[in-house]
Amino acid sequence: MENQLPLIRLENISKSFGRVQANKDVTLEIMKGEILALLGENGAGKSTLMSILAGQLVPDTGTIYLGNKPVQLTTTDKAIAAGIGMVYQHFKLVNAMTVAENVFLGQKGGFWLNKQKMCRTVEQLAGQYGMTVDPRARIHDLSMGERQQVEILKLLHRKSTVLIFDEPTAVLTPSEADNLFDTMKIMVAKGKGIVFISHKLEEVMAAADNIAILRRGEIVDRVAAADVSSTAELAERMVGREVLLQVDKRVVEPHQSVLKVEELSGQQMKEINLEVRQGEILALVGVAGNGQKPLVEAICGLSKPLPGTVTLLGMEWRKFFKKGGWKNTLSYIPEDRQGLATCQGLDLLDNFLLTTRGGFSRGPWLKREEAREKANLLLEEFDIRPPDLTAFAWQLSGGNLQKMVLAREFYRKPRLIVAEQPTQGLDIAATEDVWNLLLQARNRAGILLVTGDLNEAFALSDRIGVMYNGRIVDTFRTDNKEKVEQIPQMMAGLAIS
Amino acid sequence: MEIAIIIPLLAAAVQSGTPILYATLGEIFTEKSGVLNLGVEGAMIIGALAGFIVSRYTGSPALGFLMAGFAGALATSIHGVVCLWFRGNQVVSGLALTILGAGLANYLGTSYVGISAPGFKTMAVPLLSSIPVLGPIFFNQDILVYISYFIPPAMYIFFTSSRFGLGLRAAGEYPAAATAAGLNVAAYRWFGIMVGGFFMGLGGAYLSLAYTHLWTTNLTGGRGWIAVALVIFAFWRPGRAVLGAYLFGGIMALQLRLQALGTQLPSSILLMLPYALTVFVLVISSWRKKTSEEPAALGVNLEPVD
Amino acid sequence: MLHFRITKRQEPLGAGGSCLVLLSALFLSLLLSGFLLFLRGTPPVDGLLTLFQGAFGTKWAIEDSILKAIPIFLCSLGVAVAFRLQIWNIGAEGQFALGAIGATWIALTFPDWPKAALLPAMIVAATVAGGAWGMIPAILRQRFKTNEIIVTLMMNYIAILFLQYLVYGIWKDPTSFGFPMTPEFSENAIVGKIGTTSINWGLAHCLVLGILVWGFFKYTRLGFELKACGDNVRAARYAGLPYDRLVVLVMVLSGALAGWAGFLEASATVNRLQPSIIVGYGYTAIVVAWLARLHPLSIGIASFLLAGLRVGVENLQLDLQVPAAFGGIIEGLILLTVLAGGLFTHYRIVRGKT
Repeated sequence: MENQLPLIRLENISKSFGRVQANKDVTLEIMKGEILALLGENGAGKSTLMSILAGQLVPDTGTIYLGNKPVQLTTTDKAIAAGIGMVYQHFKLVNAMTVAENVFLGQKGGFWLNKQKMCRTVEQLAGQYGMTVDPRARIHDLSMGERQQVEILKLLHRKSTVLIFDEPTAVLTPSEADNLFDTMKIMVAKGKGIVFISHKLEEVMAAADNIAILRRGEIVDRVAAADVSSTAELAERMVGREVLLQVDKRVVEPHQSVLKVEELSGQQMKEINLEVRQGEILALVGVAGNGQKPLVEAICGLSKPLPGTVTLLGMEWRKFFKKGGWKNTLSYIPEDRQGLATCQGLDLLDNFLLTTRGGFSRGPWLKREEAREKANLLLEEFDIRPPDLTAFAWQLSGGNLQKMVLAREFYRKPRLIVAEQPTQGLDIAATEDVWNLLLQARNRAGILLVTGDLNEAFALSDRIGVMYNGRIVDTFRTDNKEKVEQIPQMMAGLAIS
Repeated sequence: MEIAIIIPLLAAAVQSGTPILYATLGEIFTEKSGVLNLGVEGAMIIGALAGFIVSRYTGSPALGFLMAGFAGALATSIHGVVCLWFRGNQVVSGLALTILGAGLANYLGTSYVGISAPGFKTMAVPLLSSIPVLGPIFFNQDILVYISYFIPPAMYIFFTSSRFGLGLRAAGEYPAAATAAGLNVAAYRWFGIMVGGFFMGLGGAYLSLAYTHLWTTNLTGGRGWIAVALVIFAFWRPGRAVLGAYLFGGIMALQLRLQALGTQLPSSILLMLPYALTVFVLVISSWRKKTSEEPAALGVNLEPVD
Repeated sequence: MLHFRITKRQEPLGAGGSCLVLLSALFLSLLLSGFLLFLRGTPPVDGLLTLFQGAFGTKWAIEDSILKAIPIFLCSLGVAVAFRLQIWNIGAEGQFALGAIGATWIALTFPDWPKAALLPAMIVAATVAGGAWGMIPAILRQRFKTNEIIVTLMMNYIAILFLQYLVYGIWKDPTSFGFPMTPEFSENAIVGKIGTTSINWGLAHCLVLGILVWGFFKYTRLGFELKACGDNVRAARYAGLPYDRLVVLVMVLSGALAGWAGFLEASATVNRLQPSIIVGYGYTAIVVAWLARLHPLSIGIASFLLAGLRVGVENLQLDLQVPAAFGGIIEGLILLTVLAGGLFTHYRIVRGKT
């Protein structure tokens, strides 16, 4: 097998966006019958590289070889024709259509669709790869795992030979993830090549044959999974230094309660109870889509908590949001920085004023000059680039935008902080900054940290709550070793009481 | 009221509803591809003028009708250029098309005001027209009405059972998914705009070639906007569009008849009826929003990759 | 093969670039309009020159353009306020009509009041009527999620028919020989002219209201909140802004400004209510607002230009028998080309090889 030709070979691929070099001189081979994991931190250039393979982006320089033939993958259909298929992190499925219609979307053929035949084909194909999904069901009625199966079926039906999975387990429960890995094994056994992108060390070790590590746009390492001794070793290769950040977490004596949720139900939530006190961080962990979003929205005043009660800083929900106030209250640091926390079309000063405007008003007037001075100081203090208040929010990178949001929210001296995936997409240095800021804020505030990253939960929290299927399965202190070890089972809904 | 009054009224409802039906179906087709075209009124009036002029100079209303469709498509292609090539705001572009269309039709049509052209005449369908009640209502009309009966089912079958219809719907629901599946979304949207414009043009031509055989300024009188509203009422389904169009045809026919009968109500109040009904219809459409088949990406322009 | 690609700009387009795009758009519209003149057998260059001459060539023409710019400016100011929130108020025409009706009602009911009381009362009635007409679609939108574009548009037809109903019916002047119009307003109900010009004091109203609206967005907290809502509804909710209530507020404000224009038109320009005051200013206002990128000062300039276009087209009609609809064509073309030109503010066109 040594001299076998790779299915696909990338040679010296480079791609930049403006001044940011996303991929630098990347060379990579994908072999038949191989599961290749592309490991790297957020922002390491994994998605860019795979988008180039899927024909969505055109590389600045470099060549792609199909077998030994160079090809130009300038559009998605050229990539599809070349046998390259991609399972996107955000599924590219039409919700209003059926499974079979989605599978056949874009397929060449006669003018009329034969629905019965379509359904039979999909059913057979699913059976061959150990999948069970009803071809007549509409997408919006399916679970995330089933939707992913539809994505895979689309590619299999197109006879794709190389399948790329972009963070495939991000939205799956652990058992759905196991099913996925089984399906992947069947696929490589049938001669396909698989690339899967991940930053989760354990699953890379478990599922991949070979691992390519991407750092700052470059392939820095390529190893066989069998040769890696531990996840720690892998982690070190990935970031180039010890991955586990050390943050100085001193015990703070918890004071009065700043957030109390009682018997909150509805919108995927089931009888949720929790309490956060000043001086502590409660981390809520779980697979995305298990009720975290509606819970956060209810606490932060975006939707009514019905039925149930939410008490913030000792006040009933309705009263709290009626009273408002910009300082010493609640700060919400949402996951969606671009769509929720900022106005992309406004400049940084206006974005700074978005939640702090209460502090710069006199009567009906807004004291912009005063705000400008304060905001300029914050730009410097938080090292936000560009340090220019007239820049628009859309011009900022993800990390800088997050720092901008944090700067603004911490300026409000909150007593309750709800932070949702606060370090997603940030590099190690920025992550460390954010972690330290949150720990500092703990002195005067209670923090509800919603995260999918267990490391983050361990590093920061005093207590951990695990969410599954709209419930908080269990809450325990972070130093409770026994419970902490059971977290993966709890996340999968295998309740152990 | 007696049956002798009701049947002609209903027949008139079908006739007045037909131009609205053509336009509504056109707009449904365009919106299914994800493009919101508020320029229906403009495309209709350009179709009306083109049909009129062609019929007048060739003496063939059929040719006029066909050319009106192409003129409508040509008009909406402006919307395509602005929204698909230049990524302009779809709402504003549609408005501009309405302003431009009305201007163009009145500018080019000034010398035809009050002049007539050969048009379509009523021709009863043998056998079918002698069915009691239904016959005189539906089968004692002109040929353009009969043609309009075939379009809604054809459109329904096209959307649900053809490969092309599937792609068109995907372009309107989730363009990124369609692109990932290898479809050229912009091309589908162009197709949606042009075919939609064709039907809008036909709707306009119905007014100048069958409803009247005359050219007057502002011939469309807001029917294009009513069609835009009816798309919402119809939940984007061709079948329900028929219901909505005949409802409006009915109210227009009724209003004309009441005026002719000389009621106590001033004519300006009667003329308000269709417009007030449009607002009312929009309000009641909100009740059953769940069953609506509104394309998820309607009105959202395509972002360039890269 | 050479082809063009569109890529997102890293930096926003500067003022110079924006001006260039705008001028090219205007030039292209005039070019196309000239072609249409040519189609009818009118020499295009002569035609366009006649148009400019008619619009801005004489003192009388400039005064007439300013006169027409007044209602367009106020309607456009209102429309722009709504557009900022991405609320598509197409109903300036109807709100304008309601404003005229409201003002007329006061003028006919209390003709003997002193000027200092009557004119303010007319303004209040006009803005309340226009504002209420704008509020209805906002409330329907909030309660029933109706599309405000269609509702405001339908309400234009209804408002104009209502105006006709009044002047053909209960408000008709018995001495008008059957013409549909109300009696002439009393002296105290008329906004006078500035000095010896034909321009009325409405121009001063425009100046004050324009500055107020500009200052409102620039210096007040509420203005800032509206701006934020207009950029991102979700972020506005995140920041605790009552979006739904702000939408109603904005529509009332928008309608009130159009209503004010209706008042000026009835009181200062025709001195009575008659159907001919409805000439499409409300639609021109949309073109103006978009052309001016919703900025009050630019709206002033654009109103003057498009008012000039209307005056110029009248001249064209007299001199070269070009139909009045020519003005609508130019307006439509300007809106389309400016809209298309908007591409260059956010994207750049790159020439590259496939």
